[in-house]
Amino acid sequence: MSAADPAADAPAIELRGLTKRFGDTLALDHVDLVVRPGVVFGFLGRNGAGKTTALRILSGLARPTAGTAHVLGHDVTRMRDTVRASIGFLPDVPGFYPWMTAREYLDFAGRLFGLEPTTLEARADALLEMAGLASVTTRVGGFSRGMKQRLGIAQALINAPSLLMLDEPTSALDPIGRREVLEMVTSLRGRTTVFFSTHILADVERVCDAVAILERGRVVASAGIADLRARAAANRLMLEVEENAGAGAIADLLRGRAWVRSIETAERTLRMTVSDLPTAQREIPAVIVAAGVALRRFEIEEASLEEVFVELVGGAAR
Amino acid sequence: MTGLVAFLRKELTEIRRTWRLWVIPGILVFLGLTSPVIAVLTPALVHSMAATQPGVVIQLPAPTALDASGQFLKNLDQFVLIAVVIAGAGVVSGERSSGTAILVLTKPLSRGAFVIAKIVSQVMLLVAATALGTAACVGMTALLFDGSNAARLVTAVALWLLYASLLVVVMTLFSAAFRARGAAAGAGLGFYFLTLLFSNWSPAARYSFLGLLPAMRDALTGELPASSLGWPLTTAAAAIALGTAAAVRIFERQEL
Repeated sequence: MSAADPAADAPAIELRGLTKRFGDTLALDHVDLVVRPGVVFGFLGRNGAGKTTALRILSGLARPTAGTAHVLGHDVTRMRDTVRASIGFLPDVPGFYPWMTAREYLDFAGRLFGLEPTTLEARADALLEMAGLASVTTRVGGFSRGMKQRLGIAQALINAPSLLMLDEPTSALDPIGRREVLEMVTSLRGRTTVFFSTHILADVERVCDAVAILERGRVVASAGIADLRARAAANRLMLEVEENAGAGAIADLLRGRAWVRSIETAERTLRMTVSDLPTAQREIPAVIVAAGVALRRFEIEEASLEEVFVELVGGAAR
Repeated sequence: MTGLVAFLRKELTEIRRTWRLWVIPGILVFLGLTSPVIAVLTPALVHSMAATQPGVVIQLPAPTALDASGQFLKNLDQFVLIAVVIAGAGVVSGERSSGTAILVLTKPLSRGAFVIAKIVSQVMLLVAATALGTAACVGMTALLFDGSNAARLVTAVALWLLYASLLVVVMTLFSAAFRARGAAAGAGLGFYFLTLLFSNWSPAARYSFLGLLPAMRDALTGELPASSLGWPLTTAAAAIALGTAAAVRIFERQEL
């Protein structure tokens, strides 16, 4: 029986009440999170939200103040080397030995994982190719930040991990490098669980199956991307009427109702968020009739991840 | 001790490929070559200084091979041990501050293996450098003086090497304990000067590793009874083992 057996049915990552305090600063505040195996999971939050702290705990570099963190079914505070052998990790600013070449670093990393020489050689070839560093023979000390980031991703994959944890993997990359990294992450879907922290919403929207939004050390939302959008969309309505004055008239009639949270009008369009969608759907047509306005469009709006993020994080910040 | 061999191999390659190859070996070879020359020149230098002082007459015996070896040992005690302190101050803290420790310690490399590889590689470098420096000293002494005391010098240097290895362990411990390289260097220099001071206090020298320093000088003059080495050797070995264990324990408890 291998040491990684508990991982068979366990979530790839499971945080329960995870709390981390640095003196008076609460970096993580009772974080609960479950990441299912095989998904690409975005860990989204502003700078300073606590993403890196959570990743440091998950990788065994720091200890929780309270709560538990499990990776592949194993408690991170008692993580053994057999479990580490199934994990790939890239910190936000990867530190390499400047006197090594990219090839030498991958060889070194592979030896730490105890890879067979033939396996190591084949993987290093493939990963250097993927990272665009196959023909680079200069030492890492002379690399740009983007090159280091690409080497960082390559070294995190040298052991063909079951769980790949990346801290802001695209932040230092140019648009082409970013696209390549995101394509690489997408290609791992189903084979490897990818957990990556970022503050770049477009990256999450592009590659992630699920997302958790962290704000001031608390998870303010955790769901599939589609669920999250739908959840936000369920509260957002858009009306378009035939006359310019109509939108304002309807807004005046709706303001003050208990289920209306906000209303904005622009020419013939009225956008609103509501707290009770079924009631809104029943009452709005009656208001339109009462206002004597001809309706052109009435729909539940699709929310972008950015709007969801701003709403959730803005709410938490308030 | 997962990853020990791979990490030790990296440490040795790093020594070979960076400034570390040149500093301590360079100092030791330089001192090995120049110590006998300084022993030869010392009487002439003293006479020339005395000549500028009217009425002062200094009589010095002709320098011998023993003076050459004594000069080499004195230099080991001073310059090389200080170089060991300064070079050792960043062995752990440097990897921590540059972020290289994070990448390797999230792989199957235990913190114990990390610390032990650091100590072993530094001691290996020190042994090789000391062998080169001693060989240079013996060779130069043979060129400049009649007679040889190579066997006594090797015994004295072996005792020094044990003390220097203990200093490597202490510096690794300080480097693991302090986040700043400067703080580790300061603590190391404090340790070095205190041990130097207390090595002159006979009870401490008799019953602790501090006795290695006077024993080294006695070994060179042939006045060292083997029976007096029991406590210094045993306590030095114990201090090396305890210091290594403490360095590992401190590093294991740290968050990176």
